[in-house]
Amino acid sequence: MIDFSRVQKELQECIKDIEASGIKVTPKGDNLSRLVGTIPGPIGTPYEGGTFQLDITLPDAYPFQPPKVQFTTKVWHPNISSQSGAICLDILKDQWSPALTLKTALLSVQALLSAPEPNDPQDAVVAQQYHRDYQTFVNTARYWTEAFAKTSSLGVEEKVKKLVEMGFPEPIVRSTLEAVGGDENLALEKLCSS
Amino acid sequence: MLNKDKQVDEGEAESSTSNLLPDWFYEIDNDVTDQQFDAESLELEKIPLIGDKEPLSVLEAEYKSGSPVWLEKIKFLEQKFNAIRRARGDGNCFYRCFMFSYFEHILETQDKAEVCRIKANVEDSRRILLGLGYADYTFEDLFELFLGQLECVLQGNASISHEELLVRSQYHRHSDSVVMFLRFVTAAEMRKRSEFFDPFVMGLTGSNVDQFCKSSVLPMAEESDHVHIIALSDALGVPIRVVYLDRSSSDNDGATVNHHDFVPGSGDSSASGWSSSSKVTEPFIVLLYRPGHYDILYPK
Repeated sequence: MIDFSRVQKELQECIKDIEASGIKVTPKGDNLSRLVGTIPGPIGTPYEGGTFQLDITLPDAYPFQPPKVQFTTKVWHPNISSQSGAICLDILKDQWSPALTLKTALLSVQALLSAPEPNDPQDAVVAQQYHRDYQTFVNTARYWTEAFAKTSSLGVEEKVKKLVEMGFPEPIVRSTLEAVGGDENLALEKLCSS
Repeated sequence: MLNKDKQVDEGEAESSTSNLLPDWFYEIDNDVTDQQFDAESLELEKIPLIGDKEPLSVLEAEYKSGSPVWLEKIKFLEQKFNAIRRARGDGNCFYRCFMFSYFEHILETQDKAEVCRIKANVEDSRRILLGLGYADYTFEDLFELFLGQLECVLQGNASISHEELLVRSQYHRHSDSVVMFLRFVTAAEMRKRSEFFDPFVMGLTGSNVDQFCKSSVLPMAEESDHVHIIALSDALGVPIRVVYLDRSSSDNDGATVNHHDFVPGSGDSSASGWSSSSKVTEPFIVLLYRPGHYDILYPK
């Protein structure tokens, strides 16, 4: 049996603090065991400007067992599966404590975005890229943020369409956009110079 | 990877005596089918969180084919103790043993002065946690539960029997809540006196008290070391004796069993043999330590 009165208090606390933390937790439906979390991408990282959504499921023994948390927004990060959004983070596993809360858990996920731990990877492909070609990793992560975590700005598909209309072949447009982290002008520059 | 260490849910026994506890302790999850419930109950029965009192001869049977040193040591224990009560080896055994032993002691002695004394210490811990910035809703219910349980073991309107105490201690949610209460109290003490505990922690893990509390005190299932015992004993003002059953052998007279008394406020705890001088503050909580595990011992 989930301690729902505690979950209620946790949600209220998040609302009180939303201006400062930017972290949001809202119920998915009537049932408080399924929640949606939102974290802003940390400033000064390839995730800056993105808004990331997470799916939160509370096990029956919550808070004695950790909440199950995974990204629903696609993220390019060594400790987050690029396929499923699963997160490799100790406090969501054996280092969870009932002294922690949903807000502190999401703050830790946000901190993980700022400080990847590529030696304890969830996504081996991303971790390998992080080690071997850091700049490409940063560009890809930025591109994924542009493509999947931004709702208001011009979508990637529109950028692709614009550049294709200028006469560049679509596969090259896509790979160039990805290489420069989704920046349309940089992509155009690169396409013109090659 | 995320789900690899999904824990096995435990059956939860129904308990319905006192409403001193939050409602959700007594709510039975209707989604659990009878079949599931039976399977979980069986699992629970196999290794209870806190077991029944058993004669010390069960230890002898356990080590029958073991090394002679162990058997000799167990013989020695049999002279001093007549029973053992086992706890499940899930990383919380120290706290579960402490909790049960303490409540059992209050139930048997009806020591009202002791209950008054410990309540003051519990209040101190609560204040420290608030001061440290822990969200009150993460620990308030656990503190209320502990204090409620304390009232229950004192004879009065809401008093409970020894059997009921055992049933509650075997009820997963209830037992885990008291374990978490004790973890909070331990962490509060360590952080309050971090200048005292920092060197211990540095030696153990190379980190500081804050980090140690996060990684080794507050998560459920993190095992307890000397440093946890010192902190809990100091925080609650309850002396604890730990009797060591391990491979070490004493230089002089062969198989003897060492113990260590954790005496609150002494700044240091005292190790000793079984000399009569150590009887000044005989701890009423006596735990048997075997590498990685604690059980409760009952002196003769």
